[in-house]
Amino acid sequence: MGLDLLFKIAGVGILISVFHTALKQAGKEDMAHLCTLAGFTLVLLWVVQLLGKLFYTVQDVFKLS
Amino acid sequence: MEIIKIVGIGFIVTMLVLMMKKDRPEFAIQLSLTLTIVIFLIILNKVQVVLQLFYDLAEKANISMMYLNTLLKIIGIAYITEFGAQVCKDAGEGAIAGKIEFAGKVMVMVMAIPIIALVIDTIVKLLP
Repeated sequence: MGLDLLFKIAGVGILISVFHTALKQAGKEDMAHLCTLAGFTLVLLWVVQLLGKLFYTVQDVFKLS
Repeated sequence: MEIIKIVGIGFIVTMLVLMMKKDRPEFAIQLSLTLTIVIFLIILNKVQVVLQLFYDLAEKANISMMYLNTLLKIIGIAYITEFGAQVCKDAGEGAIAGKIEFAGKVMVMVMAIPIIALVIDTIVKLLP
């Protein structure tokens, strides 16, 4: 369940790395930074969803609040 | 054999993080954060079984559920605090990790107040 997400994040990271380099070589610095920001946001969305699940589970297990 | 799975995932993600740390450190942090969450989610299911045993034992020993619940809450707070602090420390933000740990300590203290009050009450009663 979590393994595919890990590989997805790694894939996005590598892809963004390549895009960043390519756009930088083409002289489009601003586009390269936007590309990085978009990838970061996408991954952050996934991570935050998983984090919410973890916190919900911890609350459930340890009877917090 | 869940432990083999966890160690395997850990190795793979370590390689990926090493690969990515040089030019994309933010993705490396997100990768390690996700790995931590995944491992915690796997482990928490096991923890639940142990906690059920504790509940059964407490019921047999006629211990008030209040104490056990407080104890569990403290463990949970310590767990989440440690998790947050470690992620921040991994990212190189030792100051933020210190603040999180401080907040966790205060929260644990607040949770322990009823028990401390009870202990002091008992001591006062014992005194002539």
